[in-house]
Amino acid sequence: MTTLTRGAYAHPETSLDFKTGTWRVERPVHHHRNAPCHVACPAGEDAQAYLASLEESGPRAAWETLVAANPLPAVTGRVCHHPCETACNRGAYDESISIHNVERFLGDEALRHGWDYPGIPARRDGDAVAVVGAGPAGLAAAYHLLRLGHPVTVFDKLPVAGGTLRTAIPQYRLPRDILDREMERILAAGMEFRAHHILGRDVSLAELQAEYPRVFLGPGCQVGRAWSVDGVTPSDLHPGISQLQEWIAVGAAPEARSVAILGGGNTAMDMARVMRRAGTKEVHVITHKAIPGPGVPAADTMPAIEREVRQAIEEGVVVHEHRGVHRLILRGEKVIGVEIVHMKKMVQENGRLKRIAFEGTETVLHVDQVIPAVGQVVERHGLGTILAKGRDYLQADELGRVFQHPKLYTGGDARGDRGTVAEAVGDGRRAAAAMHADLIGVEPVPEVKSQPIGIERLNLNYFEHAPAPEEKVLPVEDRGETEEIEGGITARQAAAEAVRCFSCGNCFACDNCWTLCPDNSVLKTRDVATDGTHYVFDYDYCKGCGMCANECPCGFIEMEPEG
Amino acid sequence: MPLALEGSQALARTVALCRPQVVAAYPITPQTHIVENISRLVADGVFDCEFVSVESEFSAASVALGAAAAGSRAYTASASQGIMLMSEVLFNIAGLRVPMVMTCANRSVGGPLNIWNDQQDSMAVRDSGWIQLYCADNQEAIDTTIQAYRIAERTELPVMVCVDGFTLTHTLEPLELPSQEEVDAFLPPYAFSRSLDPAHPISIGTLVTPEHFSEVRHAHHTAMVKAIAEIEAADGDWQALSGRSGGALLESSGPADATVGVLTIGSIHGTLLEAMTEYPASEPVRLIKLRCFRPFPAAAIRAACAGLERLVVVERALSPGSGGIVGNEVRAALSTMEQPPRVENYAVGLGGRDVPLDLYPRLLEADGEVGGFSVFDVDVSRLAPEDQ
Repeated sequence: MTTLTRGAYAHPETSLDFKTGTWRVERPVHHHRNAPCHVACPAGEDAQAYLASLEESGPRAAWETLVAANPLPAVTGRVCHHPCETACNRGAYDESISIHNVERFLGDEALRHGWDYPGIPARRDGDAVAVVGAGPAGLAAAYHLLRLGHPVTVFDKLPVAGGTLRTAIPQYRLPRDILDREMERILAAGMEFRAHHILGRDVSLAELQAEYPRVFLGPGCQVGRAWSVDGVTPSDLHPGISQLQEWIAVGAAPEARSVAILGGGNTAMDMARVMRRAGTKEVHVITHKAIPGPGVPAADTMPAIEREVRQAIEEGVVVHEHRGVHRLILRGEKVIGVEIVHMKKMVQENGRLKRIAFEGTETVLHVDQVIPAVGQVVERHGLGTILAKGRDYLQADELGRVFQHPKLYTGGDARGDRGTVAEAVGDGRRAAAAMHADLIGVEPVPEVKSQPIGIERLNLNYFEHAPAPEEKVLPVEDRGETEEIEGGITARQAAAEAVRCFSCGNCFACDNCWTLCPDNSVLKTRDVATDGTHYVFDYDYCKGCGMCANECPCGFIEMEPEG
Repeated sequence: MPLALEGSQALARTVALCRPQVVAAYPITPQTHIVENISRLVADGVFDCEFVSVESEFSAASVALGAAAAGSRAYTASASQGIMLMSEVLFNIAGLRVPMVMTCANRSVGGPLNIWNDQQDSMAVRDSGWIQLYCADNQEAIDTTIQAYRIAERTELPVMVCVDGFTLTHTLEPLELPSQEEVDAFLPPYAFSRSLDPAHPISIGTLVTPEHFSEVRHAHHTAMVKAIAEIEAADGDWQALSGRSGGALLESSGPADATVGVLTIGSIHGTLLEAMTEYPASEPVRLIKLRCFRPFPAAAIRAACAGLERLVVVERALSPGSGGIVGNEVRAALSTMEQPPRVENYAVGLGGRDVPLDLYPRLLEADGEVGGFSVFDVDVSRLAPEDQ
């Protein structure tokens, strides 16, 4: 038993005999929660983590953190619709972190300096995997398989890698030198690339399966969906996707004075902008859905990326929202106009919304071209029975395993419900992890993402208001066929974004807990802390007052009831 | 050679003779003259100390506590509401066993507001763990203040020297002030055993859990009881040096065969001494002057009351709803005697009510209830009708 001193004086550290931790009814714990940007990213990027790396260790460390999930940041930083920024907690405070611009900056820095991917083992003695399609899904799968130690061979029908990135995204959105260099690096990461291989002509699926224990199918959707109005189609009809591909490949666009493009997706928007660039005066986009904007529910908006819709409208494209084509007006077999009608949403008996024509709202557009961009489907050739009759897309579980074909994996546009580069990259990464588990004899399990941390868990008193960076954007009058419209941000702006980041759910070593603990029960130590922070709780003395949790800016400390 | 000095002035000079290094006080009637005179001595360069002007009594006591804990000889003074305001710190000083000395210029405690003398203020903090010595006159106040430092420093307990406000503090008397040499001889430089020192840091007043708090209180109580010997020794040694005694724990005067006794505390003693000459009683009366109230000298009181059949306890405070504070404690102390005297208990001179010489015969003639208590001399006609 401790002996008492007269007047209860104590020499330094002798008060440590009183273990005040026994008074505690709640204990503070470090609790890593996923930031909303991380949860929202279809590719699985942890933007909070690479923003933190950028602030702490600079662009290279940040890029290395980033490419642990997505090998193509210079691409996705340009073309992604960045749901991370919509989810960003900072958006409810002042302006979201400009994550796509930081991603793009890091991707460009890597290209400029020629950084190599980290984490790819030199010795890859896992089972070999074949990847069909050198688009974002296939390349992401190949890249992650390399990281996991598997030799990978990538087959593509084109002479160069890139897939849809190359064939269907205009240069003003994704400059070719950027794409080429990004492709050059990923191919150099260690995969074998076999160009000019068309599935079913140069190599069959059966041959691939005989040689490779697992095959990843990333064919994308290269064929425009069949379209007609009550069975009627004009004689010179070409789907948007093939026209877009043609324009990108050889610069040829249909000659038209005025055109109606049907559909509200990215192909429709790209095609509309291409037609404007090709000299078409009147470009109409007709979509059942709404132009994206504040207050418009996501389910009701056009599937095209909001930025692309905005820029198309800036460039003179006329978007007719909530409209459908009621009738084609033909002279002979040639189109001279379309009758469009207001589409009304009706709730069906099963609760789903159905769009029906609102009689009496018909109007006529005089156009000499109609270009349907109502979706694309998978090219059947070479897939045999894998793509079931009557189906447009490959059916697979959430790991990417094709139903009834457990050794075949797929991802990206071929799944039918994706439609973005980021989703394709995410599919490739998840499929690679699943194939790896499968090949080493472990049952693959789907990724579990925790609930993102909400803004109410943050202590905003510790953050100053600051605006998002202003990006250089090419004025409408200067926009052409190749020059990139968006100019990105500078190193200084990217660093400022890293500082603006709330670091939701993750410690950024601000010392608040250490400074404010009234019992000196937060110990600052990088040696003992095992969870990546600088701090450990001294539960012998922590009374559980909760001040650390309350004053943690990031919501990284939570109070848990004592068992 | 005696000097004609006001009580407060004499106390200020006495404090200076004791050489405290730190004085912190806040003025309050009737203590103000003490502090004023100390500040004048400091300003005149007669008294070398750190004089801290504070904004309240709480701070005054806190500064003195800090100074004493850091090893200084420290002093403060207050009264009435000031004692109330510093009461939290008073408990801390005593509980931490930090030695220091303060003067309480006794005054009533409001409300209603009253600035005159009684002893309700020091009595209110009687359980704070301070030694309390009550002075019958200003010479005793001088001598007790000097002795108080020695008692405090030897026992590591704070000492409160209680001096009746106005009656003593504002009264001019011929007084003997000891020389600096005499005081220095009696009070050698002091080193506190647990002095705060940045080079060897310690924490004082740390948390004490239930495992140890009973022991803390036991140790404090035992130290107070043991202090009785130090109080007696200090008075004896001071008497050897100066020729004057304050009476240690208590002083008893009068014929040995007296069967009637009057026990007083504070300056009423002088009034009764004068009255005994003016109004000779029909029977011998023993006068007992209680000097030391904390620690409570129960054995000395029993010895002083030996042979008495009747004891009148006169005091200047009360515990409403209970009775006389001193009276009750005296009764309890006497209860172990084989033939204890009958005890009557009166509160007199409350809130500055005059204590005239004829109080003495009236007290002796009063037919007070044995074992009871009353406020003496109450004029019921002055009460509100509903309270009459």
